[in-house]
Amino acid sequence: MSDLERRYLRLLRAYPAGYRRARGAEIVGTYLDLADPDRRWPSLADAADLLRGGLRQRLRAAGAADLLPGVRLAAVLAFLTATSLAAAWSVLELRPPADLSLPTARPFVSLGIGAWIAWLLAAVGYALAPGRWTRRAVALALLLTLGLVPAAPLVGLPRPPLFVLLPQIALGLVALGLPDALPAPLRAAPPVAVGVVALAGTNLHLLSPQRFAGSYYISTAVPVLPVAAVALLAVALLLAAGFAVRTDHRGVWAALILLTPIGLLALQPLAGVVDGVGTTVAVWSELAATAVVIGVLGPALLPLALALRRPTRSPRPTSR
Amino acid sequence: MDTPLREPTFLILTALAGEPLHGYGLIREVAALSEGRVSLRPGTLYGALDRLVDAGLVEVDREEVVDGRLRRYYRLSPAGSTTLAAETERLRRNVEAATARLRGRSGTARSLAPRTAGGLA
Repeated sequence: MSDLERRYLRLLRAYPAGYRRARGAEIVGTYLDLADPDRRWPSLADAADLLRGGLRQRLRAAGAADLLPGVRLAAVLAFLTATSLAAAWSVLELRPPADLSLPTARPFVSLGIGAWIAWLLAAVGYALAPGRWTRRAVALALLLTLGLVPAAPLVGLPRPPLFVLLPQIALGLVALGLPDALPAPLRAAPPVAVGVVALAGTNLHLLSPQRFAGSYYISTAVPVLPVAAVALLAVALLLAAGFAVRTDHRGVWAALILLTPIGLLALQPLAGVVDGVGTTVAVWSELAATAVVIGVLGPALLPLALALRRPTRSPRPTSR
Repeated sequence: MDTPLREPTFLILTALAGEPLHGYGLIREVAALSEGRVSLRPGTLYGALDRLVDAGLVEVDREEVVDGRLRRYYRLSPAGSTTLAAETERLRRNVEAATARLRGRSGTARSLAPRTAGGLA
């Protein structure tokens, strides 16, 4: 057995044992047929292909073959929501309070503008070239959003509040699963949504400077997040029902994945419910405690659902 | 299996429409059919083959051991042949519709060009 074959066999451990026994020799044989005679190590692309194939096979064995399409669907919805929110916050950022004594990052409300612009650029990149470069742009926007937390005290300037940043970070993490190829209407959706929000910003009745400016804490800015939560939940549930009609469960997985960002978007009303005073604006400790509960329970739902789900079919390798 | 078929699936079925092929042969045939545009890797290919076998579109034909390597040959099933024929017909109609429209468009452009030139003159 050559070194290369031994290394491919080692990578093949990504596959379930039963599948490996039935198909391992055939799969490794095909890699060896394709490899240059003097190659000693599997290429990075081959390693990624084997790991991806192994994950897909394990999900299939767990009766969750629709999970990966569900991750991609959740990513598209999360990205659409994140970019729409970034557009709304950009409108707010462009309107600092008139009172010069209030702390602002003039000519903007806060440092947040840097992260929001990165999100808007990612939306444009997504329309032009979805795939690896868009995922990199999302990762950059995500890092800039995260970086606002340590950067603000370092430079002594305000940043958007954590109840704004947390859902954006959660949406960004989900959006990292954006697929490589998408139909043009889906690619155009985020920039169109950004344009609609920007237009709303110029509308004197919807997001006028008198009603939507100066601070993230004003009564018109705070409800933006719960409204986004309800809209995202409604779309996710509708899609889940629509796909389920075709016995396709990707929508259910997508809804499950999106529950964490949806919970964080609805942090204010959820924390208000927890303190028993209805939907009044919760105090910081209640917001923090609710965010921790959502951040722990939400991501745990996916492995829990996988564990509870009984395989619909055995991990049957192809046989005659 | 959902239709319309995705391009790699369509190409795998098309490759198998000729004769039974093993994994390596399928990868080469798909690359040749797509003029190098679609390059399948084994992990992706076998995932697709599993789905096609489950859907009853592809069957295992035979197994051989060549130079100590197992080669399993796959063939198109009767259901796969029907699906491929239906998909090809759908694509053919689309191509015909698009060709007719484009022909009409270039005809319109040709007939408009002298008028425009004359108008300006």
